[in-house]
Amino acid sequence: MIVELSVALGIGAGLFGVGLYGALSQTNLVMIIMGVELILAAALVNLVAFWRYLHPDAMSGQMFFLIVMTVMAVEMTVGFGIAIARFRSRGSVEMEEARELKG
Amino acid sequence: MTGSYAEVFFLAFFGIAAIWFGIVVFRTHSMVRSAMALLFSQTAVGAMFLVMQAEFLGVLQLMMMATEMSVMALFMVMFMMDPGGMGAMDMSHQKRLSLWAGGIGLVAALAVSWLPDWGPVAQNIPDASRQIELLGIELLGRSMFIFESAGLTILTAMIAATMVAIAPRKTGEDA
Repeated sequence: MIVELSVALGIGAGLFGVGLYGALSQTNLVMIIMGVELILAAALVNLVAFWRYLHPDAMSGQMFFLIVMTVMAVEMTVGFGIAIARFRSRGSVEMEEARELKG
Repeated sequence: MTGSYAEVFFLAFFGIAAIWFGIVVFRTHSMVRSAMALLFSQTAVGAMFLVMQAEFLGVLQLMMMATEMSVMALFMVMFMMDPGGMGAMDMSHQKRLSLWAGGIGLVAALAVSWLPDWGPVAQNIPDASRQIELLGIELLGRSMFIFESAGLTILTAMIAATMVAIAPRKTGEDA
């Protein structure tokens, strides 16, 4: 067992668990976005760990990192766009008050 | 082996810091403290990348997250009824289910991380300047289409978010 890789993947798993708890337990849209950011940070840790300890010569790992970072930026941009629209129309970004979005 | 011990120590140190600040994000009542805790968590993740000798990615993470979390702190203050957390409002629900989901996710991720045999660790790693050179070749060669698609996706998201956020113009009847 590679100790360095195991430590890095264990940290990634920890961040994933905390992020999942946060994304599911919070009622505020901005706090939910924070949970998703932690989950994506866990993915980034795993990608860099796999690149560093298994395939440092293949740059596709770092390429994948940039794509996940793009997803983080897009998720935040769209999330805050929706938050502004919601706050303007309803005066709140509490998701418990957004049941009508269920359809 | 000294380098390896130091690497494991600093990986664990910054990793535990990242998880600890991640927990603080959801435990504090102050929204500004939450945003700052997330900033520290992401900074610790960036430090882990530097320990793993991915200098470019580490610096990119630090710069991007510092900006992103500052913006997030501003939004927190704008949107929250009690951004300072003085009223100790509880803004969570289904805590038991979330704890179970987080715990099961953690155990599942640990199992798939630790059970397989990943093979030998790579000893030789390109230095920082060579990494950037190789990444540039990767971005403008084999992965160019994916890279360009990512840029286009960000542009689309920026336009979409701006359009969603713009206040609707009042018509003559509404005004």
